[in-house]
Amino acid sequence: MIHFQNVSFRYDDNGDGAVRNLNFTVKKGECVLLTGRSGCGKTTLLRLANGLIPNYFSGNLEGKIIVDQMEVSETPLYQIAERVGTVFQNPRTQFFNVDTDSEIAFGMENKGMDSAYMKKRVIQTAEELKITNLLGRNIFSLSGGEKQKIAFASIYAMNPEIYLLDEPSSNLDVISIEALRQQLKLLKEQGKTILIAEHRLYYLKDLADRIFYLEEGEIKESYNCQDFLKLSDRQREEKGLRMMEYKNSSFCNQPQLFQKPVLEINDLSVGYKKQAVRSNINLAARGGEIIALLGQNGAGKSTFCRTLCGILKPLSGTFRRNGQVLTQKERRAKAYMVMQDVNYQLFAESVEKECGFGIKNPDENKICTTMHRLGLYPYRERHPNTLSGGQKQRTAVAVSMMCKKELLVFDEPTSGLDFDGMANVSKLMGDLAESGKIVFVVTHDYELITRICTRIIYFDACGQMEDALVSKKTLPDLMGFFPTQKDLFLS
Amino acid sequence: MSKQAGNATAKLNVKDLITTGIFSALLFLALLIGGIPFGINPVTTFYMPFGSALLGGPILLLLIAKVRKRGAVMIAGILSGIIFIAIGMHWAIGLGCALGGIIGDFIAGIGKFKNMKLNTLAYVLVSLGSTGTFICYFADPQSWNTYMLNGKTSEGYIQTMSANAQGWMLPVILIGTVLIACFSGFVGTKLLKKQFEKAGITA
Amino acid sequence: MKAVKFDPRTKIALLLFCILCTTFSGTLELQLILTFMIAVFGLLAGKYKYAVLGLVCYGVLWGTSQLILQSLTGIWQAMFAAFFALVHKVYPCGMMSGIMIGSTKISEFMVALYRLHMPRSIVIPFAVMMRYVPVVFEDWQYIKDAMKMRDVTPSIKGLFTNPSMTVECVYVPLMMAASKTADELSIASVARGIENPNPRSSLIEIHFCVQDWLAVFVFLAFFMTTLALRGGFI
Repeated sequence: MIHFQNVSFRYDDNGDGAVRNLNFTVKKGECVLLTGRSGCGKTTLLRLANGLIPNYFSGNLEGKIIVDQMEVSETPLYQIAERVGTVFQNPRTQFFNVDTDSEIAFGMENKGMDSAYMKKRVIQTAEELKITNLLGRNIFSLSGGEKQKIAFASIYAMNPEIYLLDEPSSNLDVISIEALRQQLKLLKEQGKTILIAEHRLYYLKDLADRIFYLEEGEIKESYNCQDFLKLSDRQREEKGLRMMEYKNSSFCNQPQLFQKPVLEINDLSVGYKKQAVRSNINLAARGGEIIALLGQNGAGKSTFCRTLCGILKPLSGTFRRNGQVLTQKERRAKAYMVMQDVNYQLFAESVEKECGFGIKNPDENKICTTMHRLGLYPYRERHPNTLSGGQKQRTAVAVSMMCKKELLVFDEPTSGLDFDGMANVSKLMGDLAESGKIVFVVTHDYELITRICTRIIYFDACGQMEDALVSKKTLPDLMGFFPTQKDLFLS
Repeated sequence: MSKQAGNATAKLNVKDLITTGIFSALLFLALLIGGIPFGINPVTTFYMPFGSALLGGPILLLLIAKVRKRGAVMIAGILSGIIFIAIGMHWAIGLGCALGGIIGDFIAGIGKFKNMKLNTLAYVLVSLGSTGTFICYFADPQSWNTYMLNGKTSEGYIQTMSANAQGWMLPVILIGTVLIACFSGFVGTKLLKKQFEKAGITA
Repeated sequence: MKAVKFDPRTKIALLLFCILCTTFSGTLELQLILTFMIAVFGLLAGKYKYAVLGLVCYGVLWGTSQLILQSLTGIWQAMFAAFFALVHKVYPCGMMSGIMIGSTKISEFMVALYRLHMPRSIVIPFAVMMRYVPVVFEDWQYIKDAMKMRDVTPSIKGLFTNPSMTVECVYVPLMMAASKTADELSIASVARGIENPNPRSSLIEIHFCVQDWLAVFVFLAFFMTTLALRGGFI
């Protein structure tokens, strides 16, 4: 079905992601998982398979690529698109239309198909993928997980033989990943060929037939699932890969709690325009704690975080810092949120300038030491937009240090990160906690939670809040927070 | 794709069209949001082009820097013009934006879309589009007045209007718009050099 | 009441008539009738709340402008006259555009424009433009939040107290996000075959029906009447 013969490719700008000596064949109906560190060439491989290289991205291409009996470099993209469907990472920017029905039909409309057929196919797609509740909706009103489902449906409606997916679970929560897994299972049952590039491996445990490990553009190893599971944790971590099973997670040491600052939240109710999203929030947190915030979409996590950081006014309740009530302005001065899309928060033309942005008479020495601490000094002249995701996060953290913030909120910091990236984020948060900050992190990354978090706060769907410490003893409770992944927890 | 970027006479591909569409949306919003504070207030409504010209420079300049081919500015001008007419603005504004876009595209092309001064000039032309309605007014104030009030005008009103409207207003509006558009283009040029080129998002 | 399905080309034609009517029409009374007709069309097309609200607002506006124009004189009257002239032109057309955009899907528009022989280089940017405008408002919310945390005021005041910083805060993230979206949207569209040279179809079929002809006829008749009144024939 997919045949790569002596394929090498280098981008015109000599950037990351070049590949070398790719030689492999994927049979019809196989599901192959591509994994490896960031920049190893997974995305490039997918682009070679769907024709984006060389028709859209130019560079130096050698070798032959045959996909479904088409020679990729000689076939126009729109013809390849009829047989090869690609689902991309970012659901927000994939949509051409504003309503869901049209988006699902988009690929078929491009082909000029008959209206009656398309109507039937849209309904059929929705039924088979179990998304009939999403028909006839405005795309802007959908959550991230729902958007990804529509993106998937848009490809499914075209009924290609081959599916390529580029880190589809990056922006999804636990429930949505489970839905994705079901959809992929359906594809396998239909005998479709699947190539999927991923960091999050656990949900593909029963689906992947083969696993390709890429390093610096070459396929270093090829495993089948059982052999992969036999890799020891150390071997896996050396390769920069995430867990496939959750047994033997290492738990962090007991946190060192500080006397100050102490944050107390009493009877907090958060929401918009007098509509409460979440009420009766009571908690206390000290410097040195790293608190994971869990809950489904719509549970109120982001509303809570925005109120915590002083961006949103609370509907009722009080915040106290070291016993004294905090006004909204004071909260804003002390708190900082590292957003999921850090790009909205970076304004300056270099890392160095970003650290001093908005500060009257910034201390040059302090900027230097902060950059050194976060490993940003070599990049100080670079424009933040040219940095990797992890480096952008660290730049945002540097800014918070310069602004003397005491409370930091991270919004899904590890989505789309490989093992090294996740380890760096956890070290970053650990350092922040050690220096006395209070850290909140909105996440559903199990590895991150067990690695560095000291406490979990769970917003359930009924308005109740659960508060638990993270340790080996409380592991059974933790499993309750990840209901769809019970089978991944082996004792 | 990148092989074509340096060739100013190359055709616009889908990526260019989509980029043009997105930046046209931003340009139109800039023209609208800039102009509305002036337009809403009856006292300053004549000076609407000043507001419109203020915000759009960086947007158009970045569009040119990303596409660098013939047609992008033209399409941006035409689309903005069409939407202005569609929401009921005077037809001269729509025609002006479209014309400004067409001529501006040609001018920017002279410098192969790399000459900042010519690119700024292109933006000036597009901004002048929103003065179209006032040019019409000053060309024929009498019919404008009758058209607006349809016979309910008073002698004194017409005389006051004629007295005030002639002479200095039109040149002020035109020159002012050109100056503000140049300023916006200047801001755009600086932003390009300082940030966007470094960030790697230009072609 | 179920919405009536109108061909997007009809809506474009009606919008054109609105524009022509407001350009040539003389009296405010005619404008009122026009707005009423637009509201009826809006109701038929399914935008119930929008049509009713639009008509009520216009009624208020209409009454206010009559009052003000009759009580002022001289330079003030001139200024307000120019202002109201603009408003009375913009309002009906704006309302009609709103109904058009609210009741038509982007893919319908695209096919309609292609059927009107518009070139790809206009249709695709136009469709993308319509889709991107709401995104700008979404992005702006995030940027506002980020600015608040950095103690930079996202408002007109900030423009005066610290111009270069406010300018950078507003433009840089917006344009970067636009640039990134342009790249990613292009890839996602191209990978789904948008470059296909064959004629595009639409999920919703478009063809002229009885209601389209009726609507066009009514608005055309109104327009001719307006012209005739202006020319003094009636």
